[in-house]
Amino acid sequence: MIRRFRFLALFAALALIAAACGGDDSSDTTAAPSATTTTAAPATTTTAGGSTDTTAAPTDTTPIIIGAAVDLSQNMAPFNTPANRAAEIMVERINDAGGVLGGRPLELRTLDATVEPDVVKATAIDLIDQGAEILMVTCDFDFAFPAIQEAIQANILTVAPCIGTDAMGPNNLGEEGRIAFSFGDQAQDEGAVLAEFARDQGWETAVVVKNNLLIYFQDVVDAFAVRFEEAGGTVVATEEFTGFDGTIGSVVTAVANEEKDVIAISSGFDDLPAFVFGLRALGDDTPIVCSWACDGTFWYQEGEPLNEFYYNTKVSLFGDDPNQDVQDFLAELTARGGPPATAAWLGGAQAVQAIAEAIEATGGTDAAAMAAYLEGFDNKSLIMGEVTLNADNHTVFGRPHRIMQVTDSMPAFLELRTATSPADIR
Amino acid sequence: MTDLIQSLVDGVALGSLYALAALGIGLVFGVMRLINFAYGEVITAAAYTLLLTKDLNVGLRILLAVAVAVALSLVMEFVFRPLRVATPATMLITTFAVSFLLQNVAVLWFGTQGESIGFLSDLNRAFEIGGIRIRWITLVSILVGGAFLAAIAYLLDRTDIGLQMRAAASDFTTARLLGVRATRVIIFAFILSGVLAAVVAMMLAVQRPLATPTFGFFVVIPALVGVVVGGLDRLLSATIGGFVIGFATVMLSDLLPSQSRVFLNSVLFGLVIVVLLVKPNGLFLRGAATAERL
Repeated sequence: MIRRFRFLALFAALALIAAACGGDDSSDTTAAPSATTTTAAPATTTTAGGSTDTTAAPTDTTPIIIGAAVDLSQNMAPFNTPANRAAEIMVERINDAGGVLGGRPLELRTLDATVEPDVVKATAIDLIDQGAEILMVTCDFDFAFPAIQEAIQANILTVAPCIGTDAMGPNNLGEEGRIAFSFGDQAQDEGAVLAEFARDQGWETAVVVKNNLLIYFQDVVDAFAVRFEEAGGTVVATEEFTGFDGTIGSVVTAVANEEKDVIAISSGFDDLPAFVFGLRALGDDTPIVCSWACDGTFWYQEGEPLNEFYYNTKVSLFGDDPNQDVQDFLAELTARGGPPATAAWLGGAQAVQAIAEAIEATGGTDAAAMAAYLEGFDNKSLIMGEVTLNADNHTVFGRPHRIMQVTDSMPAFLELRTATSPADIR
Repeated sequence: MTDLIQSLVDGVALGSLYALAALGIGLVFGVMRLINFAYGEVITAAAYTLLLTKDLNVGLRILLAVAVAVALSLVMEFVFRPLRVATPATMLITTFAVSFLLQNVAVLWFGTQGESIGFLSDLNRAFEIGGIRIRWITLVSILVGGAFLAAIAYLLDRTDIGLQMRAAASDFTTARLLGVRATRVIIFAFILSGVLAAVVAMMLAVQRPLATPTFGFFVVIPALVGVVVGGLDRLLSATIGGFVIGFATVMLSDLLPSQSRVFLNSVLFGLVIVVLLVKPNGLFLRGAATAERL
């Protein structure tokens, strides 16, 4: 009996320690789990200019609820937490300017959906039951799928801040998926922009390193390979692995043994630093180009200066982004909760901005009408630049990417570059 | 030919790492019949210790990593103690629970993004012989793995505590009746496995320098498979099993056409099934399960 008590007591203690030590709200990587947060301006009658007019005729000031069923505590938390924080700021800005439809405030109601399918589904249902008229979902299609399904069944617009594949939309989800969008950059666009950048540097031959762990990783390097060869380059080898399969060491040596001008990779988690610094440790200083997956410096190895490394991203986090609006937004975001580790946050701000415009343009939250409006985005100017969506592409493309160059482990903005078109990889 | 030799070298590197983990798992299994699924979290704890002590000198970091891994191992022994008389299934499920609990504690404390450990990265550099690149960490892994295996073999064969461990492994109840202090023996096995977990964490940190909540998890899975493939009932066979899984992973990866490498784990585990069908007691054990497990 004493043994059993000791066993249970220890478990209880561990659980309490876990609960007590979790939930550093100020960090992008460790958000409090399962907390409901709500961001909305007070429901007052305001004019379009933002000033309160107490003499005006009464208008509808009922908040429009945007539900956010996003992971704030597990694998996708580093991406979704800052994206959600940026979405909150954008909601406040819109409300401060008078809301939408002549005075209705937006309300962002957030629940931690984690990445467990049952929790994701239950969270989406919960938010829809609470009156969410639009649903924001986690930045990975597979993790977000249960929530996307619920939104589609409820016939409400569903938007991901930063899913990078073309899985959102009718091509993958059927006609019902016409009300699903992502404000992440399409992998085909990222791969194309990296390939065009590489060719413009005069690099003739490339080794492509394909991590089969995520479709996004695969699509980026497939797009790179297609566009690199379309632009006259030659892919001399493709080395594949699946994240966490333990073979990254042999991938590194295989790549090092190839003759090449440039290496293209899209990867993350443990295998990214293992590849990049493993390759440099072998004395291979070939330029590496990587997608947005390589954003942030948290994975850089201390004491090992990283050079000849380039990546595209949504905005620069290092104080040199060419767009002043972005810099101001980043400063506000940082002031509220510390600097974001990657540029994922921008998708949250941009998604809310687009949603607000769609509500204004269509006069409400009818999913089909809003979807039709969003499909008409043709170089639409939003906070992160010009955005294009259409009937076939429900994930953003044609946006000016920031090409970053890493010198002595310090990323710096190099140039703005827009792909001529997304690469055709399907 | 050069490519083949390079693959062999890379295979030995991964195999050595898995062998060390298999050795730590096999030690505890030997005396307690417990397949400790939570062993990966001991490795993870050592990795986070290396991360949190990055401002200290290397010697102190190593000592602290070992201390934390041993301490966590001892806590696990304390937790698992009431289960000594439980069924293997109960013990296994409990280790699953402890594993997931500790992973989630790590998520809450450190987040999921990961942070660079920055530990002895120079060992990841390579020297070249006849066009073959050999990383220093590969040599270190082989030497350290060999040294630990030899030291543990000596301990089991030539020392009192080793004899007691073997007796407890052979028949726990009888050993207790004959005066073997079984609890002390099991604690000693957990301490040794904790030390090995810290060593695995250090080897891994050189090659995969990002500390994440699943840092050790992805090493322990193949190591556990290796222990079963090699043969659970002998420490040496379990260790060799771990080595074989690592070695086979790299060789298969190189043998498979690039576009088929996505099926690497399918092929590998298909082979594991075939091996276990043909040799259910393990690849390196003869006949039925032996009574002595160390």
